[in-house]
Amino acid sequence: MIEAKGVSLRYPDGTLALKGIDLEVKPGELVYITGPSGSGKTSLLKVIMAMEYPTSGSLKVLWQPVTKGQTGRINQMRRRIGPVFQEFKLIRGRTVLENVMMGMRFLEVSPRQMKENAGSAIARLGLAHKTHSSVENLSWGEAQRAAIARAVARKPVIILADEPTGNLDHANALNILELLTSFRDKNTAVIITTHATHLIEKQNNATFIRMDGGNITIERRGKANEECLV
Amino acid sequence: MKNALYNTGYFLKEAKNIIRLNWLSNIFSFISTGLILFILAMVVFGWGVSNLLVEMLQDEAEISAYLDGNTDIQQAAGLVETIKGIDGVWDVRLVDQTEAYGRMEEILGEEARVLELFEENPFEAFIEVRIHPDELEPALEKVGSLKGIGHIKENREVLGRIQSITEGLKNLGYLVMAAVGISTMVIISHMIRQGIYNNRVQIDTLRLLGAPGSFIGFPFVLVGLLLTLGGGVLASALIVLLINRGYGYISGLMPFIPLPPVGELVSGIIILIVAVSVVLGILGSLFGLSSTKNT
Repeated sequence: MIEAKGVSLRYPDGTLALKGIDLEVKPGELVYITGPSGSGKTSLLKVIMAMEYPTSGSLKVLWQPVTKGQTGRINQMRRRIGPVFQEFKLIRGRTVLENVMMGMRFLEVSPRQMKENAGSAIARLGLAHKTHSSVENLSWGEAQRAAIARAVARKPVIILADEPTGNLDHANALNILELLTSFRDKNTAVIITTHATHLIEKQNNATFIRMDGGNITIERRGKANEECLV
Repeated sequence: MKNALYNTGYFLKEAKNIIRLNWLSNIFSFISTGLILFILAMVVFGWGVSNLLVEMLQDEAEISAYLDGNTDIQQAAGLVETIKGIDGVWDVRLVDQTEAYGRMEEILGEEARVLELFEENPFEAFIEVRIHPDELEPALEKVGSLKGIGHIKENREVLGRIQSITEGLKNLGYLVMAAVGISTMVIISHMIRQGIYNNRVQIDTLRLLGAPGSFIGFPFVLVGLLLTLGGGVLASALIVLLINRGYGYISGLMPFIPLPPVGELVSGIIILIVAVSVVLGILGSLFGLSSTKNT
């Protein structure tokens, strides 16, 4: 569902963020993108989300080429992705329910279905008691779970989470990773960037993409993760 | 389409939020749009009144043929019959001195007291001739050349003046229309740009979630529409007040000016102002949206 061939990204200021990356992500795969700050993790996610476009190489997301100027196609592609942004990007002045529903309003989903999806995602993330609370009144952890609820309520085929463990203590970081990986199924791939490698080093059923200075190394572990590649 | 219907409540709520975020500027925009549209309404009103006035005067193209000093009332009756035979004449009446006095009393109303200062009836008998406007010129010539007719009074000069005023108002109307259009569009597009800036985080998030431009932009179009429509309603209320007060004042001050029916004029102006405000609101919003498309 994601295929990158020789993808490079150079920012207008001349910084080379990605250097000829080759990568393939299949449905149902769990992918951890790790590396120190400035290693290109967020740049890779930006390219996948079509927030930036490769300066060279080719990239296909959901089997569609990601190229500049294809707004309609990019929008279609983004509607099938559930992004969890590092800074959450929740809309202030709206409730948790309104934020979660906002991600579905332009999808082909009936209002009843929309409410059901939002309600069950909010409940699964343990925020049922905060459904009608304004997002300004949420704690850091609650806001993060609201952002995850917004991403998963859309029933995406790719969940992209950018540094979801940042600013969290060990236990909470593990909880969030567990929660995110629980949405992985045979059709849904989960891609998580993190610099906290100690939290995932014992994972034996995932793909690890290690980034360093725009270069990557890929390691696939576990039978289930290999099977999903077939 | 289905989604748009489902989301009506959401769009209205978003529009309310956009207005609320910049409350004071939006209130001033609403007031200034209302005042600008009020100026337009006044010009259209003046234009409408003068147009209707010209039409009414043209429909009533009428001359008064005054008898010379040697013509008695029997001869005048004969002249009436002769004039009836002239092409283009559709009504002829002999107005005697008493009727002429009575008419002036009616026109002057309370001011008719001034007539009591005269010892004798100061008005002359005359023949009132109504002519089809298209045939005014030749009919005038024929009536004027009849023996027994001293001089003729006709309203062509007044008509010409009113027509030139109407023409002037029409040109002023085009200018005001252009000024109103441009300034309203600038105000609305500026408000939309400001709204987009205030909501940039939300817009960015919606884009990343794959929302189409129409979904993101619709609440802003609604805001533009609500602002100008509100301005249109304000302008309509002001012009109705002005017309109602002005009509009473003008008809009291100048009772001899035939004013067109007020209801017809008011409803026409309201429809025009509301329609103009809707069109300008939508255009202004789209202009504002398009100017921020790539930012």
